Amino acid sequence: MDIAILAPASVLVIWSLVMLFWMAGTRLPAAKKMGIDIGAKPGGRGPDIDPQLPDTVAWKSHNYTHLMEQPTLFYATVVILALADAGHGLNLYLAWGYVVLRIIHSIWQATVNLVNVRFLLFLASTFCLLIMAINALWATLF
Amino acid sequence: MDTSLLLQPMVALILWTMLIWLWMYVTRIPAMNKAKIDTANLVGGTGGNLDELLPPEVQWKAHNYNHLLAEPTLFYAICVVLILAGQDYGLNLTIAWAYVGLRVLHSLVQVTVNRVMYRFMLFALSSLCIIALAIHAAIAVFH
Repeated sequence: MDIAILAPASVLVIWSLVMLFWMAGTRLPAAKKMGIDIGAKPGGRGPDIDPQLPDTVAWKSHNYTHLMEQPTLFYATVVILALADAGHGLNLYLAWGYVVLRIIHSIWQATVNLVNVRFLLFLASTFCLLIMAINALWATLF
Repeated sequence: MDTSLLLQPMVALILWTMLIWLWMYVTRIPAMNKAKIDTANLVGGTGGNLDELLPPEVQWKAHNYNHLLAEPTLFYAICVVLILAGQDYGLNLTIAWAYVGLRVLHSLVQVTVNRVMYRFMLFALSSLCIIALAIHAAIAVFH
């Protein structure tokens, strides 16, 4: 088993939790400032109050949700590569590349959020994942 | 550890998801141009906002891409459990491939005709595969 490739995956897990705290740390004070009583009725969910909050607050939440989407494929691919003894060399670099690009994507989405740059960052990270996934196919098929 | 055959359906579903990702953009980007969305100055928002602006059949690709990042996360986790528990062969391998096949059909229905009853039937069948794998995993790790 190739343990090294589990390191970038661990970093992305930790980064996702950083985004969780960033989201909560901006959303809760903003909700309070807007006079929204979060405890007023049961059943509410975070994104329900996004339309009432400033855009920059909702952006943190958008990115946290985003991190719960495609990265789930990344984790699965990393585990496959690790179990197939293919988690080194190019795949290891690609995994780190994916994580670094996703961190930049997060910071961009949470702050400036110009969509065309966000899209290019997402595209670049997806290519890292795609190449990893194709390598995973070779590593498991033959 | 010998390379487990159960890694193959996992990889297949990951690559299928990437294909749907590609299908999403191949249809979305021309549709955004046609809808005259000023992407050069667009700030904020999420892909979900496009539900109000683009034709439904364009967004169906995005809906399916998101769908593929929902329940299949359980599938990947269960496959890893089965591999680590040494239960990654025989019936479990067949069920895993069945799950992938059903999810591919589910994708094709959702991104094209998108009749909800067909979609639901395929989703229900694929979920039964997850349940079967999860029960086998539970037996393997608790027994």
